[in-house]
Order: sequence, then C-alpha cells, then structure tokens
Amino acid sequence: MGKFLISIDAASCTGCMKCGLACSELYHRAFNPLLARIRVIVKGEEAEISFTEECTECGVCVDQCFYGALSKTPRES
Amino acid sequence: MDWNGFAGNVLYVDLSAGELESRPLSRDLCEQYIGGLGGCIRLAYENITPGTEPLAPENPVIIGAGPLVGTSVPASSRVYGMTRLPQSRSVGWCGAGGVNFGAFMKYAGFDFLVITGKSDRPVYLDITGDAPVIRDAGSLWGMGVEDACRALWEKHGRPAGVLGIGQAGENQAAYAMAFVDRLSTMGRGGFGAVMGAKNLKAVIARGMNGITVADRKAYKKLTKDLFENIRNYPYLKEWQDLGLMKSLPIISKEEYSEAKVRRMACVSCPIGDKDIIRVSGLIATSSSAMNLYVPTIFGMKDHKEAVTLMTMLDGFAMDMFEFFAAVGFAGDLAVAGIISSDEATPPIDLTKFESMKIWAEKTAYRQGLGDLIARGLDAILERCGPEAAPYLPYKVKGMMPYAGPKAPLPWNLFGTMELGQILDPRGPHVGSGGSPTYFAQRPLEVFPKHLKRMGVPDDALDRILPGWREGAPTDLNIGRLLKYSHRWFTILGSLGVCARAQINRFYNYDLCSDLYQAVTGIPAQGSDLGDRADAAWALLKIINMREGFGRKDEEPPAKWFEEPPFCNYLTGKPITPGEVGVMIREYYAEQGWNPETGAPAMPAD
Ligand code: SF4
Ligand code: SF4
Ligand code: SF4
Repeated sequence: MGKFLISIDAASCTGCMKCGLACSELYHRAFNPLLARIRVIVKGEEAEISFTEECTECGVCVDQCFYGALSKTPRES
Repeated sequence: MDWNGFAGNVLYVDLSAGELESRPLSRDLCEQYIGGLGGCIRLAYENITPGTEPLAPENPVIIGAGPLVGTSVPASSRVYGMTRLPQSRSVGWCGAGGVNFGAFMKYAGFDFLVITGKSDRPVYLDITGDAPVIRDAGSLWGMGVEDACRALWEKHGRPAGVLGIGQAGENQAAYAMAFVDRLSTMGRGGFGAVMGAKNLKAVIARGMNGITVADRKAYKKLTKDLFENIRNYPYLKEWQDLGLMKSLPIISKEEYSEAKVRRMACVSCPIGDKDIIRVSGLIATSSSAMNLYVPTIFGMKDHKEAVTLMTMLDGFAMDMFEFFAAVGFAGDLAVAGIISSDEATPPIDLTKFESMKIWAEKTAYRQGLGDLIARGLDAILERCGPEAAPYLPYKVKGMMPYAGPKAPLPWNLFGTMELGQILDPRGPHVGSGGSPTYFAQRPLEVFPKHLKRMGVPDDALDRILPGWREGAPTDLNIGRLLKYSHRWFTILGSLGVCARAQINRFYNYDLCSDLYQAVTGIPAQGSDLGDRADAAWALLKIINMREGFGRKDEEPPAKWFEEPPFCNYLTGKPITPGEVGVMIREYYAEQGWNPETGAPAMPAD
C-alpha cells in the first residue's frame, strides 16, 4: 500500500497525459505515457483513467495534473 | 548513436514501390536546424526537386516533431509538415497542435517521415508495430476524418496518434487539410490534397520507446520552475475554462459553458484549448469551439446550423476560410451574372444552411460548379476572366489572407501578423507573425519586455523601437520586428513548443536555449538558437525562390488600401502601398537578405 489514496475525476480529464509522462520518467528514466503505471484512454467524449498493478500510489502523477482530474489524500500510517 | 530528445531515425516511404526504409537521423541536421520545423525545412530543401508539381507523386509529404516533443515540457506537442502546396504552389510549412500524434511518432522511433510516390490503391501508413507497414485503406476511403480515426483506433487500439484526411483530400480539393487525432487542423493550402494525390488516407503511430533527456538535473530544475509559473498564472483557470473563447469570444460564455462537454489538450499541455461540445444533441469536436461558430461571421444565424456545417467541413477536412472565400466569390459572380444561374443552383447563400450544406458537399466531391470552387480563387478567376476581378476577396499567392478590415478576422491595424500575410514564404498565414502587436494598440512602453522575451537583441531594439533606452519609445518598425516574429516562431516550432498566446507567454529565448541544451545535450549558447532558426527560415525562402517566387509575389493586395483600409498600427491612419513597400525592404534588410529582391545568401551546401 502506497503513501496516498488517489481519486479520479474522469470528467475533468483532457487526455493531456502529463500524469503518464511524469510516471514513466520516474520509473523508466524515459518519457512515454505507455510505459506509465497510469493509463488514460479517451474514447469519443469519454475518458477512462486506471492504474496498473505496479502502481505504488506514490502520488507523483497527481502533482502533474493541471486539470483536477486526479487528487490524493495521505493514507493513515 | 545515443540520442537524447530525438528518437534518432527518419522513415523514408516510397508509396509507388511500396518500400519503407528507416535511416539514422543526421546529427548535422539537428545541430544546424534544431529539429521539428527547422528539420522539416532542411529535408524539404533536400527532397523537393524544384519544379515538382504539388500533386505529382515526386512531391514529398514531410512530417516532423521537434526534440522536446514527447517530453513533459509544457505544450511541447507540435507537429510540422512540409510539401509543395497545390493552392499557393509554394513550398509551405504546415503545423498543428500534435494532440497524441507527434509524441507517438517519436515513441515509434521516428523524428521525421518523408513520404514520396503514389500508391496504386488507397493505403495508410501503420507505425504502431515492430516495423512500419503500408496497409490497405480501401474500407477507410470515403470516410470523414472522425469516422476514419475511430475505425483506425478500433483496429489498432487506443491511444494512438492519427494524421488523416477526409473526402476533400481524397478528391484533391486545393484547400483540403489533414487533421491530427480529429482535433487539430494541419496544412492550409492543400496538405490534405497532396496526401490524397498519393492515395494516402492516414498515418497511425504508437510505440514503446521512451524519450530521454541529456541532463536530468537541469531539466528538472527548468521544468519545475516552468510548472510553477504556469500554476501561479492568475488566468490559468479562466484559460482552461474558456480556451480560445477567452481571447476571441464568438458566442456568450453562458452559451459556451452549456455546450461544453469536455476540454481536450495535446500531450503535455497544461492549458488545453481543444473542445468537444454538444449543441442540440449534436456532438462536435474541434481544435477550438470558436471555429465551430465561424459560419455566424458570414451571417448564418442559427447556431446549431453553424456547428452542423462546420462539423461537415471538418469531416471533409476542408479549410473553412478558403472554402468560404471561394464559395462566396462564386456566389458574388453568380449574382453579377458572370457565372450562370444554371450552374450556381441552388443559389449560393452564405447565410443559409441549406445552401451551404449542398455547396460544401459539391465542393468536397467536386461536382458541377463545386469542382471549380474546390480549385480555389485563382482557378475561378482564370475561368471567369478579368471582369471577375472586382469581386475577388483579398488574395495573396492564390489564397485569402484572413486577417484584414474586410476579412473573417476583422483586424484593421497593420502589425506583424498582418504584414506577415505577404512575407511568410508559405503564403498568407498569421501563425508565424506573432508579436505584441497582436493586442491592438498596446502602449509602446510594454514592448521592450515582450520583445526581449522573444530574443530581440538590444541593437535591433534600437532600430525597432527608437527611444526605448530612455523608457519612451517614439516609433515602432513593423518590418524589422517581423524578422523576430518569424525567428521566435521558428524556434518554438523547431523545438516543438506550441506558439499559442496562452503557452508562448511562459517561454523566453534563454529558457528555450536552456531546454534545448538540457534535453538534447547539443550546446546552444548565446545567440546560437536564433542563428539556427534564422538559417532555417532563410532556407524556406530559398526553397520558394527556387520555385520562381520573388519580390513580385510579396505585393500587398490592392484591396487592403480600399475602404475600409488597413491602418497604421500607431497612428490609426490609413496605410499606403508606399509605406508597405518600405516595411518589406526593412524586413529584408533586418533579415540580412538583399533589400531589393529579398534573396538570402545560399547555404554552404
Ligand atoms: S501513483 Fe506513482 S506509480 Fe502510480 S501511476 Fe502515479 S506516478 Fe505512477
Ligand atoms: S488525469 Fe490529468 S494529467 Fe492525466 S491525462 Fe487526465 S488531465 Fe492529463
Ligand atoms: S494550446 Fe492547444 S494546440 Fe497548443 S498544445 Fe495546448 S491544446 Fe495543443
């Protein structure tokens, strides 16, 4: 279990992938949202956001979201 | 070679032979021309044989994305194209917010694509797998942009970047464009027609390679500061909410927020301005909702009808400004009896949806008079002869400059964007001429700060803004300033950063140099980046001079001086052809080009 509980508001997501860019750089030292532990898929007017099993809930992607589609609350230690 | 920032390869595709070859990217090209837009210009210089007809198989479609594209640098998404354009006949840059396409092309391993030849059947280029493949596009041919994108995403999976054309491009209408991920327009002047002439419906890209940066520590510091500046921008939320409606409010805020379904953004963009809206049950996607209401400028009153018409034009992937200019010109000629009423049936009426819907279809499918309209202003003029000339809208290199007192963007002050409509080698476009004159009659005292941000050196400021050192500028030299607009545009485009006002404001010349160096590891000290951008822009001019363009093609349209005329940016008095002539000479002189002919020195190789 990671440091944060991450919540999603897919209605605010723009598909900008800033979240995935940050995650991929953090864990792979290279930018590519397809390598990230967060997945964002825009289909028609809908956006879907999900996390892979490797997600550590470190919260770094949340800090990169400028649109309020991701938020985090610290977990009780 | 290990690359940072760049993917490191160029994909050459010969559609006639069905051959694909990946070649290593040239380090020289990156060092001399930065990449992205500059790289595309250099590849056009090497790959376009002078005299090549725009729709001939030999005319290449060149596509590129700069070294920052694919990284987290804010709004580093831009995609550029170069080809000889059918409408202007110039070799022109074509640019678009890259949505996913630019980044995903790089993740697939390619900084540039150079596509020549002509397939014997409709195809698309698939660069989503281990190796690029040319695939049959028989089932996609005839589809609009939205449907073609959806079909490709269903087949190849989401997310993936798609650059594709609609029916207008398939039928080689002179002002057909391409669309990026159904959201961004690319290539006024007929980029889509060139793809159509190759039987190339689309390119789809996705890959699992990552883009690395050379100096992570410097990169982190630079981007952290940049993110903070953007987060602290007092108008951030307003820009995110309103998009381009903030600067050009074509409908009320209330109507817009009711229609808005989702804000969309290109990869890495924190201030996205792309739209998905719903109007009376109709869903429309656009590079900005603002565009969807453009028919109201021409007098169409019903907003749902305006959006429906624009959705059709976007589906066909046809440039709205050129379409309205050509169809409006034909309509005026029909009223004047120069085009027969039999041909112009139903009557052409820009205010009526029923009329425009039919003429949009006739044009995209090139039926009847629609075929002539699809060939653009010059073709109409040629067929109808000199008696048609008085009815022409503004025209530069066969296209309509869309900023002017009687143009769709009714700007009447003559700043850099307006002058740029005759001096951009690609033909009329306001995109490359940005400067603080974009904001009408800003006080001159604020100019030095903005011009320094764009990298204008102090000695040039003396020529552009005399008196600035004393804090009281007395004049503004539009011709000389335009050189630095073009340079700043080339720097941003070559790096891959979006030039839109809400993005560009966070960037400055030194930051661009620092980011370039941190990402690529290629040194960019002092004036280097500007020199490289100047070299790229001069090469664009040279490529066009090779095609026979010269001083004669850079004359302002006579109609700019008729009532209501363009006015001097400072005094508000009508400008004269003589004043514009002086501005042109000064522009050439500031560029270091021949002040009479506008010819730059030839590059060494
Ligand atoms: S919480 Fe951390 S690991 Fe999980 S997706 Fe976000 S950045 Fe990646
Ligand atoms: S969750 Fe936020 S950062 Fe990620 S794609 Fe959506 S808007 Fe962009
Ligand atoms: S401002 Fe618009 S075009 Fe530019 S990067 Fe952002 S979403 Fe794309």
